[in-house]
Amino acid sequence: MNLKRQLLVLLVFTLAIALVGIPGSAQGQQPVKNPDTLIIQTIGDPESLDPSWAYDTASSAVFLWNIYETLIFFNGGRTDQYVPMLATEVPTVANGGISKDGRTYTFKVRQGVKFHDGSTMSADDVKYSLMRFMMMDRDGGPSWILLAPILGFENQATRDDSGKLIPTIWDQVNRAIQVKGNTVSITLKRPYGPFLNILGQWSMVVSKRFVVQNGGWNGTRGTLAKYNNPEKPDVQELFTKASGTGPFKLESWDRATGTVSLVRNDAYWRAPAKLRRFVVQKVEEFGPRRLALQNGDADIISVSRADQPAVTGIPGVRIVDDLAELVNSPAIFMNLNVVTEGNPDIGSGRLDGNGVPPNFFADVHVRRAFAHLFDRDRWIREAARGKGRVANGPIPVGMLGYNPKGKWYEVSTERAIAEFKEAHGGQVWERGFKFSILFNTGNVGRQTAAQMIKEAAEALNPKFKIDVRSVTWSSYLGLMNSKKLPMFLVGWAADYADPDNFVVPFMHSTGTFTGRQGYKNAEVDKLIEQAALETDTKKREAIYFRLQEIAFQDVPTIYIYYLVNFVVMRSWVKGWYHNPIFFEPYQHAYRFFKG
Amino acid sequence: MAAFIARRLLLLPLVAFGVTLLIFALLQFLSPAERAGLFVTDPRQLSQIGSIIRKYGLDKPVHVQYWNWLKQLARGDLGWSQTARMPTAQAIASFFPATFELTFYMFVPIILIGIWLGTQAAVHKDRFVDHFSRFFAISLRGLPSFVWGLIVLMAFYGWLGWFPPGRLSLDAEFFVKSAQFHTYTRLMTVDALLNAQWWIFLDALRHIAGPALTLVLVEMALLVRITRSSMLEVLRQDYVRTARAKGLDEPVVIRRHARRNALIPVITLSSLLFVGLLGGVVLAETIFNFPGIGKWGAEAAVQLDIPGVTGFAMFIAFVTVLGNLAADVLYATVDPRIRLQ
Repeated sequence: MNLKRQLLVLLVFTLAIALVGIPGSAQGQQPVKNPDTLIIQTIGDPESLDPSWAYDTASSAVFLWNIYETLIFFNGGRTDQYVPMLATEVPTVANGGISKDGRTYTFKVRQGVKFHDGSTMSADDVKYSLMRFMMMDRDGGPSWILLAPILGFENQATRDDSGKLIPTIWDQVNRAIQVKGNTVSITLKRPYGPFLNILGQWSMVVSKRFVVQNGGWNGTRGTLAKYNNPEKPDVQELFTKASGTGPFKLESWDRATGTVSLVRNDAYWRAPAKLRRFVVQKVEEFGPRRLALQNGDADIISVSRADQPAVTGIPGVRIVDDLAELVNSPAIFMNLNVVTEGNPDIGSGRLDGNGVPPNFFADVHVRRAFAHLFDRDRWIREAARGKGRVANGPIPVGMLGYNPKGKWYEVSTERAIAEFKEAHGGQVWERGFKFSILFNTGNVGRQTAAQMIKEAAEALNPKFKIDVRSVTWSSYLGLMNSKKLPMFLVGWAADYADPDNFVVPFMHSTGTFTGRQGYKNAEVDKLIEQAALETDTKKREAIYFRLQEIAFQDVPTIYIYYLVNFVVMRSWVKGWYHNPIFFEPYQHAYRFFKG
Repeated sequence: MAAFIARRLLLLPLVAFGVTLLIFALLQFLSPAERAGLFVTDPRQLSQIGSIIRKYGLDKPVHVQYWNWLKQLARGDLGWSQTARMPTAQAIASFFPATFELTFYMFVPIILIGIWLGTQAAVHKDRFVDHFSRFFAISLRGLPSFVWGLIVLMAFYGWLGWFPPGRLSLDAEFFVKSAQFHTYTRLMTVDALLNAQWWIFLDALRHIAGPALTLVLVEMALLVRITRSSMLEVLRQDYVRTARAKGLDEPVVIRRHARRNALIPVITLSSLLFVGLLGGVVLAETIFNFPGIGKWGAEAAVQLDIPGVTGFAMFIAFVTVLGNLAADVLYATVDPRIRLQ
C-alpha cells in the first residue's frame, strides 16, 4: 500500500467515525439555542404556498394548520375523530349538521376570527375558499379531492377531455355550497362517508379580500376562465403571499435558499403560539443536516431510515420511533398487459426463454408464484431496518377495513415452483423467461425488493432471468404511465384518512395504479363503489374485508409492508405530537415550544 | 484587438444556438411522458400526466418545441424553472452572484498561494519546500473534492463550529431581507460593506470559507505544479544567467526576469481555472448547502427541468466563451510578442 493510499484510508476512516458520532463531548448540556425560534431542516422546498396549487408534502407541511386552518381538525392522534376549528362544532346527524340523507353538511362558522391581513373571516370567505380550491384546478393539482365527492366521482376536473372549461361547472359548485347567515352548507351528489375526513385537511380558508386585492379571482363565473388552470405557480397571487387565520403568518419565502419563515400571529383567535418564529430550511445533503442537529442549529431534521444510526446516540437529541403512517409503499405491481412497442424490458416479447409475452402476468399462477417467492419479512429487515408491519392488502393497519386476519402467501419455493409449472400451460417452467424490473435511482427500498425477486426467481430455474436496472424518477413515472414496465414498485400516501383513498388507486379498474397494470375485476369495481356510499361502518368494513380476500386471491399486486416512521429532534423541542395524517412532524407547530 | 474581441463576441449567439439545439435534440430520446415527470412529484398525480403533456406541449415535434422556445426567448423569457421555483432568468440572476462571489474567494488564494508556492519549489528545487509542495499537490489532488468537502465540513463546522453551511446565518439572513439593508450587487460581502455592516460581511465570509477552503486545497495543486515546471524551465534560460552575471540581486532575478516569463502557461491555466471553478463548485455548493448556480444546475439536470437546464447550459457557454476571451486578451498584455488578430 503506497503512502497516498494509506492517507486516503486514514481520512475515510476518520470521516466515517466522525459521521457516526462524536462521543464524550458535553453537548448534551448545551443551553437552548434560539429559544423562541423552531428551525427545521428538510430535504425539499415547497412548490407553491397557494393551497389550490400545492399537492406536494413539502408545501402542505408548511402552510396547512400553520398558516391556513380548516373547518374541523383531527382530535389528537386520531384520524377518525374531529374537533371544531374554524367551524364551531363538528356536524353530526344527531346535532343536525349532517342531513338525514347523508348528503348535506352544515357548518356554523366561528365568529370574530381575524385573517392575517386584518379582515374578519365570514361564511362568504369559507364558501369562496372552497370554490377557489376546486375552480383553480391546475393540471396535476389537488382540486379533484373536493370536486369528486361534491359533484360525484365521475367528475374529477373542471375541464373536459379536450381541456375546455365545462360551462356549467361554476353553477354546479356554486349551487352545492350555500351560505345562510353565518352557516355554510355543502350538498354532495351522493352520500360519501369520508367527506368529513376530507374537510379535516382540504377545507383551508383564505381571505377573499386579500386574494382579490392581490389580483386574484373574485369568485364570479365570468372571470373564472382567466384563472382556471394556471400555467405556472407564480401567476397565482398566493404563490408567495398568504393571509390565513392560523397561529403563524408568512414572513418570507426565499426561493434562492429554500428557506420559509413564519412568525407568530399575535391576533390569533386562540392563545398565541409560544414560538415567535418557525423556519423551514431546505438542506438536501444529510451531512450538514446532521451536523446542524448536533450543533443545535436545527431542532428537527429529516432523516432516512438508512441514516438513522448516524443520529442515534447524539447527546441532546431525541428520536421517537414506531409512528404509524397512512402509507402503503412500496408494493410490487405486475402488469397484466404490457405495451410491447419499443420496449426493451420484456426481451423478445415471447415466451421463448428470452423474453415474456405481454400477457405473461395475466396468468394468476405466475402472479401467485412471485407472491410465494418474495420474502417480505426479510425485506423489512434489510430495507426498513426491521421497522414496519407486513401488509396483506391495500388498506394500511389502523384504518377502517384493515383485516388483521387477512391471509397472504407463505414464502415457499416448492409452492412457487408448483405455480410456475401450472402457468401458461407449463411453458413458463419449460422455456423460462426474461424481463427487467426497474427502480428509480437512489431508492434503496425498491432496489432491494427488485434484487430479492431476481435472486429468488433465478435460484429456482436456470432458465429464469431477471434484469434489475435503475432510471431517473421522471423516466420511471413516464414508463409506468405508458404501461411498459412488466413489474413496477410504487406506493401511495393518503390524501385523506379513508380506505376508499387506498382501494381506488390500488384496485379499481380506473385507479391510478390498476389502470397502469391492466387489472380489471368487475366485482372489485362494484364493491369499491358500494363501500364509498355505505354509511354503516360495520357493513363498510365487511366490504373491505371482501376486497382484501380478492386482493389475496387475484394477487395482481404483492403488498409488502405498512411503513412506520420516526422523528429526530433536539430534546429541548416540546409540544410535539404525532397524527398519522400529518405530512411532516412540524405540521401543527402551534403547540411547539423550546425549553 | 477591438476587432478580435468583437469577432469573438459575435460567436456568442452561435454558441448559444448550438448548445440549446443540442439539449433539445438530446431530450427527444425521452418520451413525452418521461419529460412530464418533472411536474409529477408524487405517484398520486400519475393519472394527470396526459393533461400535463398537453399543457406544456411536450408531445409536439422537436422543431415546434424549439421554435416555441425561441419565440419565448425573443420576448426575454427563458421559461419557468420548476426546480428553482422561479423563472429561469431570475434563477440565473439570483444564483450566479453567489457562485461568482464564492469563486472569487477561491480564485484569489489559489492564484496567490499557488504561484508563490510553485516559485518557491522551483527556486529551492529538491529541497524541503519543493518536496513538501509536491507531496502536498499530489495528495490533495488525489482526493475527490467531495471527500475534502465532508472533511472540511466535519472539522470546521462539526467540531470547531467556525464555518457553517449555507450562505448566511439566520439572523444575518433576516437582517439582509429587512428594510434596513439595501441590496446593490447581490454579492453578499460587497453589499455588506456598502451597507457598512461589518457583522454581515464577516458572517458571509464565514459561510464562504468552508466551500472555498475545500476547492482551494484541491485546485491549487495543479497551479503549483505548472508554476514550478514553468519556472524551472525559465531559470535555465540564458537571460536568467545573464541577469545573475550582471550581478542583480537574486529576488529581482526571480521576480522580474524569471517569474514574469514563467507566468504565460499559468495565465492560460488560471483563466481555465476560473471558468472551471464556476462550473466545478457543484459538489462544494451541495455539501455546504450554498445556494449557487452549480447546485441548481445539477438539480435541474437530474429532474429534467428543461427550461432550467437549457438556460443553465446557455449561461455556462457564455461564461466559457468570455473566460477564454479574457485569457487571450491577457496574453497579449503580458507578452508583447503575442498579437491578437
